Amino acid sequence: MDKPGQRATEYVPTYCYQCVAGPDLLQVKVENGVATEVTPNFDAEDIHPAAGRVCVKAFGLIQKTYNPHRIKTPMKRTNPKKGKDEDPGFVPITWDEALDLITEKLSTIQQNGLTDENGHPRLAASFGGGGTPTAYMGTFPAFLSAWGVADFGLGSGQGVKCYHSEHLYGELWHRAFTVCADTPRCDYILSFGYNAEASSGVCGVKRHADARGRGAKRIQLEPHLSVTGACSSEWLAIKPKTDAAFLYSMLYVLLHEIPRGELDLDFISNRTTSPYLVGPNGYYMREPKSGKPLVFDTAKNKPVAFDTPGSVPALEGEFKISGHEEGPDDILWKHTQVACRTAFSLLVEAMCHYSPSWAAEVCGIPAVKIREVALDFLKHAHIGETIEIEGRTLPLRPVAIALGKTVNNGWGGFDCCWARTLLACLIGGLEVPGGTLGTTVRLNRPATSRQASVTPSRDGIMDYPMNATRKENWVATPDVRNANRTLVPLVANSPWSQALGPTHLAWMMQKDAFDPWPKAKPPDVWFVYRTNPAISFWDTDALSDSMAKFPFTVCFALTRDETNHMADILLPECTDLEGLQLLRIGNSKYTEQFWRHSGFALRQPAATTQGEARDFTWIATQLAARTGLLERYNTAINRGAAGIVLTGENYDFSLAPDTAHDVDDIWDACCKAASAELSDGENTDGLDYYRTHGFKTIESPELDWYLYPVIEDLNLRFEMPYQERLKRVGGELSNRLHEQGITWWDNQLEEYEPLPAWHDYPGLWESALEKNFDIDIADFPFWLVTSRSMQYAWGGNAGIQMIREVAQNIAGHDGVIMNAARGHELGFSEGDLVEVSSPLNLAKGRVVLRNGIRPDTLLMIGQFGHWATPLAKGFDVPSMNALVPMLLDLTDSTGSGCDLVKVNIRKLAGPS
Amino acid sequence: MTRWAIAADLNRCIGCQTCTSACKHANATPPGVQWRKVLDFEAGAFPDVHRAFLPTGCMHCDDPPCMHVCPSTATGKRDDGIVTIDYDICIGCAYCALACPYQARFRLDGASFAYGGLTGMANEKQREQPERSGVAQKCTFCVERIDAGLAAGLTPGIDPEATPACVSSCIAGALHFGDADDPDSNVAKLLAENQHFRMHEELDTGPGIFYLNGAGNADQPEPELVADPASQASVAPARQTSWDWRAAMNFMAGGAGTGLFFASAQTAFTGPTPLLPGLIALALVATGLFCVWMEIGRPWRFLNVFRNPNTSWMTREALAALPFLACGLTALTFNLPLLGMVAALFGLLFLYCQGQILHAAKGIPAWRPAQIPYLIFATGLTEGAGLFLLLTGGASLGMAAGLLALTALRYLVWRRYKANLFSTGAPTRTVEVLERFEGGFFSAGCLAPAALVVAGFLLPGLQPILFSLAGLVVFTSGWWLKFTLVTKAAYNQGYAINAMPARGGTGAPGIKPGWTAKP
Repeated sequence: MDKPGQRATEYVPTYCYQCVAGPDLLQVKVENGVATEVTPNFDAEDIHPAAGRVCVKAFGLIQKTYNPHRIKTPMKRTNPKKGKDEDPGFVPITWDEALDLITEKLSTIQQNGLTDENGHPRLAASFGGGGTPTAYMGTFPAFLSAWGVADFGLGSGQGVKCYHSEHLYGELWHRAFTVCADTPRCDYILSFGYNAEASSGVCGVKRHADARGRGAKRIQLEPHLSVTGACSSEWLAIKPKTDAAFLYSMLYVLLHEIPRGELDLDFISNRTTSPYLVGPNGYYMREPKSGKPLVFDTAKNKPVAFDTPGSVPALEGEFKISGHEEGPDDILWKHTQVACRTAFSLLVEAMCHYSPSWAAEVCGIPAVKIREVALDFLKHAHIGETIEIEGRTLPLRPVAIALGKTVNNGWGGFDCCWARTLLACLIGGLEVPGGTLGTTVRLNRPATSRQASVTPSRDGIMDYPMNATRKENWVATPDVRNANRTLVPLVANSPWSQALGPTHLAWMMQKDAFDPWPKAKPPDVWFVYRTNPAISFWDTDALSDSMAKFPFTVCFALTRDETNHMADILLPECTDLEGLQLLRIGNSKYTEQFWRHSGFALRQPAATTQGEARDFTWIATQLAARTGLLERYNTAINRGAAGIVLTGENYDFSLAPDTAHDVDDIWDACCKAASAELSDGENTDGLDYYRTHGFKTIESPELDWYLYPVIEDLNLRFEMPYQERLKRVGGELSNRLHEQGITWWDNQLEEYEPLPAWHDYPGLWESALEKNFDIDIADFPFWLVTSRSMQYAWGGNAGIQMIREVAQNIAGHDGVIMNAARGHELGFSEGDLVEVSSPLNLAKGRVVLRNGIRPDTLLMIGQFGHWATPLAKGFDVPSMNALVPMLLDLTDSTGSGCDLVKVNIRKLAGPS
Repeated sequence: MTRWAIAADLNRCIGCQTCTSACKHANATPPGVQWRKVLDFEAGAFPDVHRAFLPTGCMHCDDPPCMHVCPSTATGKRDDGIVTIDYDICIGCAYCALACPYQARFRLDGASFAYGGLTGMANEKQREQPERSGVAQKCTFCVERIDAGLAAGLTPGIDPEATPACVSSCIAGALHFGDADDPDSNVAKLLAENQHFRMHEELDTGPGIFYLNGAGNADQPEPELVADPASQASVAPARQTSWDWRAAMNFMAGGAGTGLFFASAQTAFTGPTPLLPGLIALALVATGLFCVWMEIGRPWRFLNVFRNPNTSWMTREALAALPFLACGLTALTFNLPLLGMVAALFGLLFLYCQGQILHAAKGIPAWRPAQIPYLIFATGLTEGAGLFLLLTGGASLGMAAGLLALTALRYLVWRRYKANLFSTGAPTRTVEVLERFEGGFFSAGCLAPAALVVAGFLLPGLQPILFSLAGLVVFTSGWWLKFTLVTKAAYNQGYAINAMPARGGTGAPGIKPGWTAKP
């Protein structure tokens, strides 16, 4: 195989996984050893859902590679003082020196113990969101696995800027780490701030464009007219954080305004827990012997266990029955002939307050429109229709609801996720063709298969790996700085769980102790890769101050940036077009990646490595060897820590444990194992094959897109509408915390509601700000929101000139967007220099006047505000991140917050 | 016959700029140069607002105004509809950029790199394009890919290697490329099955990008003029930057010079040709030409300006300049009044060409009205008369009377020009500039000199000073007028969208942002 540059012009296949909506396949044109062009990979036209295309971000990779501002040698800090205003005094050092310095620190940890006196790991690592850095860090996960315990909970945006409630509740209810419409078959999509056209990747974009092409409707509800709103049939300018009110009102229409028979009663009765009878204490009434929840069998006119063959459960009604309720901590209430109502009846009653005229007042959308949307949702559901896929007949419900950030995280996220899932159930559209689907699992195991992760529980629903809340096994002392397993049962304990915990708590605990826990200490060593929390988190000034106190920070650095400004060591790693790595592709992944194939793709050097940058796998191997972890490291790789298990029934490509293997050798073994996995051991194509062809796939069943078949096969029910399990877990958690004297999580405990009621979320924000900052909220009359753009969503593209240039073609990348009429009313002109102030902080920027935004809302696109990143520091574009405080009052029970704050705006000067 | 064209489905386009970036990669365009880009339109008032994205670039027009105006024949059109530029011939006059109503042409002098510096990054060094420096450049429809693809038996628009990079890379399936003349082609079928429009159809250029707008819009009405849209600077007309004061000087000095020579030549029949005004006239014209020579990107290719007498008024102007300067200089040197008159006629031809130069630049609405050649012509004559009076101490009653008449004529033509421009619609900023100009021009540039001339007739003793002053004022106001027209009021066409795409909804009327009409 020729290496790059050995032929005058060649096309090198590789992948782009800069954003969570990847990976996508591309080719790089290399001329005389220089990467000059990114092109789609048309060889993948038939296997990639977006026909081998890549989005605008991939085209930034050439400049990313040759960026003159790249860090090209390892560097060490010479100024011991750290801070925004301190010059780090970085000086070049050799790789040996850099690795020796890091090894010395790691060895000290090994000697002192991997955890500190608080029980927190002394080694911490923060990576960019969505797991995408894993696609670039080679075998570093194997090093971390060999190391032992590390703290991944110092977030850089996870939790506060991800689909947090959706991740947790989605996995609970339908194995849906992320949720999306079955867009190829969906005819009507309600999108609450779901920014498909900016953030669903090329697959999502193509799926939605195809849907529009065949006449599908999408109604976009958000405070501003985003790119996605623009591409929708209709934009409804909903007031920030009132989405739950709209959804509840839709529930009201379906439950109170139309004949019951128009709903999918078969689905509701047999595939949800709606008929389960609820006892006086709010827990399911259970059969004494089996402990199974009871339903009222209308055929036999008596209560029976929910899974009694031949029973015809009553969906609604009140019945006098006997049984017991199981409360928190084994509390048992035995009842004889007590009046119990079905979960569905309780739902109907709970939703009776939320009429369209009520919701209109709350969310600013006319009642007639809310009703129209609800009825359209029902009309498009085509209840009763079926479709055959791969020989199996399934319900076809071409209608779905998608939720976006700020809608599905933070307070109200639970309500929205619940209402969305419930609405899907009412029309029988959950996990069926055309309907609302999950994409992948990250909290349940195995991560490679949603279907395989489904295990039945005693209650006829899917089991879930909650963190323990019983006294005997609750994690009373947080084992990481964000206390995720202690505070959030739903976050489970997968490799993803720490990063999904209340990541801002980890930062807040760097400043203050949370009684009775001691103030958290900084990690002894902190690795940072593909993330810049000093820009991408909240209260960025305070965050920078915390980072400045970290004793030893190692940043894998493309260029200087605001986080590595505080680093002790900068390491230049082979970036996207320089490194080598095999990645699993296909099946269904994240946002809208639904493939009909699965397999592996190779990322390989297309360009000659710049400077002294080294492949991440080489770095990981060096660290493992120098810290005496080589055997465990190689064993971890053999076990699958690099993404593929190296042994199978018919093959064994495992690495010798005691050797520091070459990068090529490691990935050659991975490639061979991958080929073998795809062919049951018959094919063992290695690295050379993947270098030439870029990828290898086999067909995978489309039925795997849907969870319904396995639910049907196992005769399970979706846990809707009543959240008995959460209520019990919440009760136990409350007990545990109160036993420790912790009351600062009490507001969060109230969210463990079996049937969530509407809370005044806008008011909650306002009161929290007033309480924490001693301000009059009337002085902050605007809501400040953010929105992603495809050019800047993920990828760390702020320093790439071409991305900046093309992004300018889309309005709003230059400042703070304000409603034009409101702006004129207040005396603002286009381009005015303004100061936007929140109770926490202020930011300056230029005003951009648009008609497509609510008069009470301001919008700052993306995450800018750079002060160290070359190029980006000259943008002078404000970011809301500096303005958003980290507040416990604005943290929900899952530990997430969302991008929302109240601000004022004033003019400083006219246009430049 | 093959007619390559693009069908852009606005229902699908999401404004992601992937095509923009793919084009930049495929064609190695420098920072700031976007042969393909996607525009962002917003229409309506809150909460009934629509937003749409519209890919644009060179339209490869059926009747490309850029080609007609090109003096060097660098811009050509192939039989398959592709408009080409020969970088080796182009003189970089940027006339084509002004003639293009789609702002599709660029001229960049010297190298420009993404992160500055003198040499650029490795990829920029690898793909240097020195032949493009100082000349016009634009979208080529990736003609090399098409030709190579056809030679290899591929079908452009179907086979990605043979298809423009923007189309091949489009992630939304919004861009389609094919032979519009082949009823079986993908593009022809899309056009047959969908409502569509072309931008600025009223200019009759026959653009080769068709915008599909779904089947929901039964009709494709003219876009609504929106005088002052919110934050749409990128789609509203912008002031042209291709021609600055140097080009304006050609019109100012050239007009005044030819007018002055003509005025001087008239007196040759009543006496010897006055040497000073004649020499000054020639010098003015030469100065104007020198200024414009300083502005072109490839000044040492200036002889290529003579290559396109068939259609280019710039070539014709240059051709008229040669006999004008030659005859004029000879006539003055040897005191040959009749030759002077011949020179004056060439001067008038030169002046007429200048008016037509502006008129032919379809990309500048302020230059398009039919009255613009007459306005330029009348202004030149008026300036000439005024300058003659100034240089001769106001000694000619006849010239003063002529000045009065020409000033009145100039104003009448101006009024007619402006009324016509405003009634059909013009860029809002153009209207604002011309409205501001109007007040001062009428009072100071027309009324005042007329009053001075009349006063001169009434006060014979003060005639020299009053007539000289009138001449000075008229001359100055003429330059003011032309400087305003060529630079300050010269906003380009901007962009327009005839109808906002329905996207499964109802759609909405399109807009032409930054335009005002005053019927």
